[in-house]
Amino acid sequence: MENIENECKKKIICVGNRFKPEDSAGPMVYDQLVNNRLSGDIEVIDGGLAGLNLLRFIHGADRIVFIDAVNGFKTFNGLIVLNAEDASKHADTIFGHSAGIAYCLRVLPEVHDGKLPEIFVVGIEGATDPDKILKANEISLKIATHGYSLN
Amino acid sequence: MNHSRTKIINAPLNRVEGDLEIRVRLEDDRISEAWSVGVMFRGIENMLKNRGALDGLVVTPRICGICSTAHLTAAAKALDAISGAKVPANAIIVRNLALMAEHVQSDMRHGFLMYTADFVNSAYRERSLYDEAVKRYEPFKGKTVIDVIKHTKEILEMVAIFGGQWPHSSYMVPGGIASNPNMNDIMQCKYLIDKFASWYEKRILGCSIQRWLTVQNNEDLDTWLDESESHHNSELGFYIRYARDIGLDKIGQGHSNFISFGQLDLPESSKVMGRSRNSNLLIPAGFVRNTEIEPFDQKKIFEHVAFSWYADDNGGKHPFSGETHPYATGEESEKYSWTKAPRYDGTPAETGPLAEMIISGHPLFTDLVNTIGASAFVRELARLTRPAELIPAMKQWIMELDPQEKFYTHSPNITDGEGFGLTQASRGALGHWVSISDKKIAHYQIITPTAWNGSPRDADSIRGPWEEALINTPVKDSENPVEIGHVVRSFDPCLVCAVHAIQGKKENIWKI
Repeated sequence: MENIENECKKKIICVGNRFKPEDSAGPMVYDQLVNNRLSGDIEVIDGGLAGLNLLRFIHGADRIVFIDAVNGFKTFNGLIVLNAEDASKHADTIFGHSAGIAYCLRVLPEVHDGKLPEIFVVGIEGATDPDKILKANEISLKIATHGYSLN
Repeated sequence: MNHSRTKIINAPLNRVEGDLEIRVRLEDDRISEAWSVGVMFRGIENMLKNRGALDGLVVTPRICGICSTAHLTAAAKALDAISGAKVPANAIIVRNLALMAEHVQSDMRHGFLMYTADFVNSAYRERSLYDEAVKRYEPFKGKTVIDVIKHTKEILEMVAIFGGQWPHSSYMVPGGIASNPNMNDIMQCKYLIDKFASWYEKRILGCSIQRWLTVQNNEDLDTWLDESESHHNSELGFYIRYARDIGLDKIGQGHSNFISFGQLDLPESSKVMGRSRNSNLLIPAGFVRNTEIEPFDQKKIFEHVAFSWYADDNGGKHPFSGETHPYATGEESEKYSWTKAPRYDGTPAETGPLAEMIISGHPLFTDLVNTIGASAFVRELARLTRPAELIPAMKQWIMELDPQEKFYTHSPNITDGEGFGLTQASRGALGHWVSISDKKIAHYQIITPTAWNGSPRDADSIRGPWEEALINTPVKDSENPVEIGHVVRSFDPCLVCAVHAIQGKKENIWKI
């Protein structure tokens, strides 16, 4: 049986809790993305509350876009794009049950086997609204397809 | 004239799922009173009301990212009971293996990413083993921290292989599982189990599981520790030496009552047997009071809300009749937590790996509790060595799966009725009590491990388990009360499950 995960070189991983409005931005984008006609080399994943277990999704990809709710960032129209290094700076000092993307990205260079993928985080700040979710959907697809320069 | 020095300190505890505050009163640098405060309301049970009968299978695994499989197990078992479904041996084994994978991952991560993180606290800078502790446990780069992350990231792939979906899988259904693993799937899972087992023996124990299981008492433990370099310097060996050095064997005793709902059904004709020959579970259910193991009866469970922010009968209700009505006007004088106070036969009880060991009749832990008491040291030792209890059964069960046999037995539609699903999450007893009416959920109550361990006082003003465990704990520096962290974290708190609540500082929110 072929391993589908290894064929998908680009992944969009939506993170959050769909039962908590302030943390539901990632799952809301996921619900839109799975209804899109995506390029065959982009895999969309409902990362839910996987926390540190998000690490298993990182294997086998060339480029990964995480989508998640954020708080306290200076955003443009409620959205922000971070690279892995910047996102990892926001990890809590010590692991907890609530360790999320930032913690994963902080330890990733130490625990990943093989070449590290290119990683971006699309952060969605504040209350979710349809425009913001749609915009995050579009941005994540663009980044997954073409990459992104933060300069 | 009283010369005692009294001080109240609030210790917000990070590194738990959800927010927890511990408030203690210090008298002469010892804790004389403690209050455990769950600081958020959730309301999952209310969210489930009037939804479809099967919706608990989808909603409850999303209560918590750490205990997802345990919640799915409890939800499925409750529906098995209501529908009268007979679960075939293959499905019992798959359910068991998924839950065990969650346990062994959680045990290692709690132990070496959360619990021992306090071992590098500046309070211990002068200890002779401190530098070695830093090498092992320094956040993000300690060699143990990195090794544990590396070697625990694969084992849960078993859930994805068996369930076809992960995270927050819903493949357990009344009557079995909703997938048909083939031989290739089984072999992949066997590889994952063997790989984890090999790492656990080499790195964590420093010996074979068989050798570890010959440790029967405190004296044997010392013999094992000094027997070889590999024992002495293994992760377990270093944990034992360091924990004793900083006095964890002298703090955190608690009520010494224990409860286990039991877990891991033994399929008929399986070669796997539990320590207790009288149970149809690998890990038996039971209740221990004053070192006596009593048979377990879920009818004796009542949840009190006298000190919780809920409107209900203060004296306690069984979960089939208890409600979740938040009641926090801000004017209550006694209520102080969003966590309810579950009690068994009117008594608080701690739950978790140590309770499982005691109720199973494990000779080492029975001896340790009888000789030195249920300390923070012993509680965490039980967690770190629980995989040695589980791995042999995992290895046997994966080989007993037969892809030619069924994984599902057709079960009748869910009709009106009530049932309960009891199991053990990684941090202890977990139960779902469900009533179905007109094919919809009429009532859903969940009691989690941290509700047991982190409960506030009950209607008789009796402290919850970790509140009690904190009493008499010495605190050397009230500005750095690391001892509170040792005691509370030895219970592996998970507040997002325990409180009926929405958390404050969340998994995915970064504050800068």
